[in-house]
Amino acid sequence: MNARLWAIMEKEWLEMRRNKMVLITMALIPILLVGLVLGTTFFMQRMPESEVIGNDAPPIPPQLQNLDPKTAFIIMMNDQYMFYFMLIPMTLPVYMAAYSIIGEKETKSLEPLLATPIATWELLTGKSIAAVTPAVALTWLSFAVMAVGARFIATDAVFLALVRPVWLAGMAVLSPLFACLSVLSGVIASSRLNDPRAAQQLTGIFIVPVIALSLAVLAGKIFVDVQVVLYSAMVLVLINLLVLYFAVKLFQRETILTRWK
Amino acid sequence: MIKTRGLTKRFGDVFAVDNLSLDVAEGEVFGLLGPNGAGKTTTVRLLTCLIAPTAGEAWVNGHRVGEEDMAIRQCVGILTEAPGLYERLNAEQNLTLYAKLYGVNDVGGQVQKYLDMLGLWERRTEPVGSFSKGMKQKLAIARALIHEPRVLFLDEPTSALDPEAAKLVRDFILEVKGEGRTIFLCTHNLDEADRLCDRIAVMRQHLIQVDTPAGLRQSLYGRKVVLQLQEISQAVLSTVRALPFVHQAQEEDRKLIVSLDDPEAQNPILVRHVVEAGGAVQFLTEQRHSLEEVYFTLMREEGETLSAGQEAPR
Repeated sequence: MNARLWAIMEKEWLEMRRNKMVLITMALIPILLVGLVLGTTFFMQRMPESEVIGNDAPPIPPQLQNLDPKTAFIIMMNDQYMFYFMLIPMTLPVYMAAYSIIGEKETKSLEPLLATPIATWELLTGKSIAAVTPAVALTWLSFAVMAVGARFIATDAVFLALVRPVWLAGMAVLSPLFACLSVLSGVIASSRLNDPRAAQQLTGIFIVPVIALSLAVLAGKIFVDVQVVLYSAMVLVLINLLVLYFAVKLFQRETILTRWK
Repeated sequence: MIKTRGLTKRFGDVFAVDNLSLDVAEGEVFGLLGPNGAGKTTTVRLLTCLIAPTAGEAWVNGHRVGEEDMAIRQCVGILTEAPGLYERLNAEQNLTLYAKLYGVNDVGGQVQKYLDMLGLWERRTEPVGSFSKGMKQKLAIARALIHEPRVLFLDEPTSALDPEAAKLVRDFILEVKGEGRTIFLCTHNLDEADRLCDRIAVMRQHLIQVDTPAGLRQSLYGRKVVLQLQEISQAVLSTVRALPFVHQAQEEDRKLIVSLDDPEAQNPILVRHVVEAGGAVQFLTEQRHSLEEVYFTLMREEGETLSAGQEAPR
């Protein structure tokens, strides 16, 4: 790997390690989601079917109609959580991304850094990968914990639904790519705005289209299988490269150094 | 080593640097003096390729600014006005990062060399946030030197330091000077400039004057020697004033202040004539003007030029 890019990543990780609160708050959402999936599964499996489904039973999708209604309902609930799981890495590193350039400017470390022979793409990519990695690692770790927990408390059908190929592929490729997209958007905001709060809010807006897309999937408007995941991944790779290109173009060293106070 | 021709930087309608032409030789310590807002930091940023010039040309170590920026960044070191260190990281981690960014071969060796040289090796694992201002400044200088640059830009290296820390930094600059590096020093501290710099440029957007510290004094005040006599007779005064190389001779108590071009060569002749005219010489010293006097005179003249409505020299 490019030595300068790696040096930036190492620096970001070292700073992250020294700021334990960032890591702790980052870990909170995945831990909560693991608790939600396992808790929901554990208690719903022990409740009578009439209480789980109630009087207003939702329609069971065709692929689950061979299961009993309670199991099908638990799988439908967990599928929603799994979607959130896949989107966690998008939200976790938003603060780090939004603060990436503004933070350097605030601590006056940006000027000596930009005086080195580092290229803009190396700086932005290094910062982005550094922000994405812990978020994806935490998500994968919590997914693994969730899968192991589900193996012990869920029925075979519920467990196999949780680790079915579409989710595995989604977690393996879509999650990191969504995270990259979110972080690169945050880095753009951070290099165009001189207030970290405004940058964070703007990054939040970039996430809205992805959330809208996920709601369409949850509502059954878009059907997702492994093939769709892989095609989406290819599209996301291109979008990420395009966003990186714009991030580099929009990074105005001179404006950041001379106009931001 | 550094050459600028008509270098200009404009922010909107404001000229931060206007038509600056300078030549800095290899191994020279070149001082840039000027009031706040004179364009010193902008000049450093232009020469380190942090910002682009609006007009004019500049070369650093043979590389042209705006065309070979990466090559320039690779061969220069910069100490910015604020140290800008990563305060959560320790001293070793800060230097290691920059050694890697500059592509230093022996990262560990270089880091140890500079931490040792600046007396920070024992505290290398402590977060920089716990360091004093002087230690941070030393570390920032080490960071600027970690890749052994040929040219070093120092922007206000001793500002906000206590006298002890400032002396430490100045001594270190002298040590670095001894290694043959070219040093471009921006400072408000006139005494520091006088002590460290081979040549000094006084600027206020444009260049007002550039010379050696002694040259600046001479160009404004000429060179003067003070002869203290037991008594100044009319004969002594007439004799001195009649000498062809004496520009002016003033009497002040028992002191005779004489303006000369070349005291080293002319003092013996002057003293001989004074003695022959009956004068009893007690002391002979050179009258020195501080760089502060020179600076304020230049700034006053510059202010008068501007207030007289004349266009500033370009």
